[in-house]
Amino acid sequence: MSEILRMEHISKQFGDFYANKDINFDVQQGEVHTLLGENGAGKSTLMNVLIGLYQPTEGSIYLRGKKVEIDSPAEAVRLGIGMVHQHFMLVEAMTVFQNIILGDRRYKGIFIDHAARRKEILELSWRYGLNIDLEAKITDISVGAQQRVEILKALYRGAELLILDEPTAALTDIEVEGLYSVIDKLKSEGKSIVFISHKMREVLHVSDRVTILRAGKTIKTLLASETDGKELANLMIGRDLVECEYEKKESEQEPVIELRNVDYNKTSKHNGLNGVSLMVRKGEILGIAGVDGNGQSQLSQIVTGVTMAEAGEVVLKGCKVNHVTAADFIEKNVSHIPEDRNRMGLVGNMTVEENLLLKSTQDCAFCDLNGWHLKKKAMRTYSESMRVKYDIRCQGMDQEIRSLSGGNQQKVILARELEAKPDLLVAVHPTRGLDIGATRYVRDNMIAARDAGCAVLLISADFDEVLQLSDRIIVMFEGKVMGEYSGKNPPISTISLAMAGK
Amino acid sequence: MQKTKTLNVLIPVLSILLAFFIGMLIILALGKNPIEAIGYLMKGAFGSKTNLANTVVRSMPLIFTGLCTCFAYRCGVFNLGGEGQFLAGAMAAITVSLLIGHEGWWVSIVAVLAGTVAGGIWGLLPGILKTWRGINEMITTIMFNYVATLFMGYLYTTALREGSVPQTAPVPDATKIGRIFPDLRITWGIVIAIVLGIAIWYFLFYTSKGFQLRAVGFNPVASSYNGLSVKKYMLTAFIVSGAIAGLGGAADVLGTQFRLISGYGGGYGFDGVALALIAQLHPLATVAVAYFFAVLRVGSTTMQVGTGVPTSVIDIIQALVIIFAVAGSSMMYLPKVRKFVTNLFERKEAK
Amino acid sequence: MDWNTIAEVLTSAVRMATPLLFVALAELYSERAGLVNIGLDGIMAFGSLVGFLVCFWTGSPFLGVICGALGGVLVNMVYAFCTVTLAGQQIVYGMALNIFAPALASFIYRVVFGVSSTLAQATLMKTVSIPVLKDIPFLGKLLFDQTPMVYAVYLLVVVTMIYFNRTKSGLNYKAVGEYPKAAETMGINVIRTKYIASIICGFLAGMGGAYLTTCYVNTYSDGIVAGRGFIALAAVIFGRWSGSGVLMACLLFGLFDAMQLRLQVGTDLLPYQLFQMIPYVMTLIALTIFGSKIAGPKSKGKPYYREER
Repeated sequence: MSEILRMEHISKQFGDFYANKDINFDVQQGEVHTLLGENGAGKSTLMNVLIGLYQPTEGSIYLRGKKVEIDSPAEAVRLGIGMVHQHFMLVEAMTVFQNIILGDRRYKGIFIDHAARRKEILELSWRYGLNIDLEAKITDISVGAQQRVEILKALYRGAELLILDEPTAALTDIEVEGLYSVIDKLKSEGKSIVFISHKMREVLHVSDRVTILRAGKTIKTLLASETDGKELANLMIGRDLVECEYEKKESEQEPVIELRNVDYNKTSKHNGLNGVSLMVRKGEILGIAGVDGNGQSQLSQIVTGVTMAEAGEVVLKGCKVNHVTAADFIEKNVSHIPEDRNRMGLVGNMTVEENLLLKSTQDCAFCDLNGWHLKKKAMRTYSESMRVKYDIRCQGMDQEIRSLSGGNQQKVILARELEAKPDLLVAVHPTRGLDIGATRYVRDNMIAARDAGCAVLLISADFDEVLQLSDRIIVMFEGKVMGEYSGKNPPISTISLAMAGK
Repeated sequence: MQKTKTLNVLIPVLSILLAFFIGMLIILALGKNPIEAIGYLMKGAFGSKTNLANTVVRSMPLIFTGLCTCFAYRCGVFNLGGEGQFLAGAMAAITVSLLIGHEGWWVSIVAVLAGTVAGGIWGLLPGILKTWRGINEMITTIMFNYVATLFMGYLYTTALREGSVPQTAPVPDATKIGRIFPDLRITWGIVIAIVLGIAIWYFLFYTSKGFQLRAVGFNPVASSYNGLSVKKYMLTAFIVSGAIAGLGGAADVLGTQFRLISGYGGGYGFDGVALALIAQLHPLATVAVAYFFAVLRVGSTTMQVGTGVPTSVIDIIQALVIIFAVAGSSMMYLPKVRKFVTNLFERKEAK
Repeated sequence: MDWNTIAEVLTSAVRMATPLLFVALAELYSERAGLVNIGLDGIMAFGSLVGFLVCFWTGSPFLGVICGALGGVLVNMVYAFCTVTLAGQQIVYGMALNIFAPALASFIYRVVFGVSSTLAQATLMKTVSIPVLKDIPFLGKLLFDQTPMVYAVYLLVVVTMIYFNRTKSGLNYKAVGEYPKAAETMGINVIRTKYIASIICGFLAGMGGAYLTTCYVNTYSDGIVAGRGFIALAAVIFGRWSGSGVLMACLLFGLFDAMQLRLQVGTDLLPYQLFQMIPYVMTLIALTIFGSKIAGPKSKGKPYYREER
């Protein structure tokens, strides 16, 4: 086998944040080499560097031993690198045929030579078993078919190295099988594949080699035949680093929220819920473990009133809720640390103080005359006290919140949500992207909230976090509850298997 | 922390200076003396009591359309329909006052209210299209502007026409909005405008509803997660901003213009957007910038008579202010520029 | 109404539709690359002045039209730089053009002819009738006895339709307006395409403006454009962003314009403003009925940043 690609010491910086740091990676001809890592580990960034969408801050790329500068996607295409993006790069208003020939420079002539190109594409699709109706519009075909279009698009451009970014994320089981056979076919024709995933099972199935990325760095490269899911998981999460230090509690108190057979967008495995039943009691932390994108976002939106369940019952503090809004849930003392703090939690252009008080300007502590006069002094006193209490590091209360670090932004959300003395706290990926100190701080506060009698629902893709904090653990897979486990001495290997759907 | 605040003031001020510099170069290129031209400009604006009064009178409609923009944009509603809403207010006011006739001072209050309501309705229509059908308000409000302008044409050429000239009958004397000083054209309308500016400023920054409205404008997703009804606030912003412009139209037609004629109100809407953007959407700054625009306009006529420099050079300067001010602000969103500015400030702070 | 009146109105409709078509095509090219340009009125105003001046000095309407178009390109480069390179808000810069360009035009006119001069007049482009075809009864006069500009614009419509539907380059161009990031990954230069779009837009809108002063009336006056840019904007929406749709919309709007002109001098039966309103009202109704389904090119109005997280 000969080496087709080598990436050396690649770093990519966004602002002060390194998405990739000193990464080494290589691909042999005819192999499937997997990049494995959690969300945000830097897989997609590395590949965007490879296809010329991003320019690396440092490092160099070699193709077949020759150093190359990939300064634009056009250059990558010319060099025979093709990528199937996780979010498909397909123009929805156009047909399959039009999408495939987009940007094609191999043939001269002004007009589209419909017949000849069509013949060429059909030959390709036949050779690789990629069946698609070329005249269909992208909006009218299934996600699996869209992916086949993407692969065909890359092959049509003469790609020798194909990058598949989380290709199974949106596929049904049957479609996944189809994809596997396409990959086999590609390998047998001598094409090389970079496979990006965070799912252990499929990685072991398709890969020849696996490289694990964590927090923007390469951790290890292994032969797929010489490893197993457990080793990969350990490397990917880096779990053996921290040990549990929080006291676990078993609550016998009444449930604050209860879901009974809740459905939402049921047919989607990755963006829906299918017959979910669970309850969170006063004074306990219920942790939802599971790989990202198995219905957790939808669950968090339903238990905070942002969206409504399509079927089943949601019982909040003993009352069945029907037509709800987020405001109704806030009224009932539900707090929410949302999954995307910049998009859902904070108003970036407003100040630290304003974000702290986002929900409470109608309180009589901060306004007179039924809201028609804000007590600026009281607001300032309060926000300054929050700054001290939650150790928010900022230049002043008038600083725009978007210029704070992620950890301090999260502390602002934490202050806002916890000071409401919630009966239910829904925390989604509460420590994502935070440094160790801030992570510790957020976790301590959640434990303190539990001890004060709050019911906490913790949804996190960080398995270690779920293990450390939860008094009970529920595993979600493809929108379903796979099982419930005690937080005290949890059966880690069983839970790991449940997370993979077994 | 001071970075954004400093930039918010710095960018418009620099833009004005730069635009003036270019304007003076143009005047110089014409072979005229720019200092002399500016002198005439100042004389035209501030040279006499009457001139000074004229600048105030000219600024009034601009203040209203500027505040209209300010209020809407603060809630993330890109209302470009200030002109249509202004005219809707003017038309309703004049129709009401002509229909009721010489009845007394209370008619002007009814007419002003009618104008405000009409403006609000004219703002509500694109608001409904936005919240109900998801149609971009920037396009629809422009369309509604033309509908309003043409409807005004119908009023002054046909429905309310008086005599052979295409214009409406004047507002009855009793219904006119009174002057503050008998010998100057300044009416109580300007007081309404300034009070309104202060009221909006107070509302946006010192009330709970205003606070929430701004939050919706900056980040509707986070606002809905935090329990605010985004649609309700947006619709309110459409109605209120329309009503502000409508009130302006009523005040202008009852206080300054007295009748509808061809070309009335033209450009007020876009001028309002421009000056509110230069004022960085601050209501009080909007009032100030509106006055600044009015000074330039009133002064430019004297400049043209005195030096032969066409008034349009002032329009060019105004357009350049907009281009520079907005370019300056949008540049701040470019990753590279942002990094550069941050570095610059950090270095300063380090020193 | 007799046949003569109808023929007159239709001829006038074709004449009215011509500048609209130029400008609507300009907007079509701009929006197809994702750039909503509401500054058409401004570009037209500048184009009409440049066209008039060149025509006045050289006596050649053709040269006037070409220079007017180039003037339009020049003005629209301000928009292109601010919206593409600086990624500023497209609507704001369109608006800025609407204030800037007419002021510049008015300024130059006054510098050239003095502040209070008599009305300067230039020559008008002559009609060129096409032999044989012009003798077709009714249609002949309507379609084949017009200025070359009219022929040019219909040719342009055909070229545009072919370009967007049949050519590779047209396909790539459309992809930029639909999904610039996808276009970029396919090796299409998004920034360059957007600049080309701005050049075409400026050229055609400037030409539409110059048409007014070289083919329609032989003088320049401030406000000569009279909101045609916005009718063209409506025509693009109403014509659903296609060459043929824009053609139909412009002819329809031109017809209403011709009818209102006729009404203005003729009867008192219907207020002529009603007909002037129709393009806007129809566009609003079309938007309401089809909602966001006819939103046009998907990325229109949005700034494009290449590296973004």
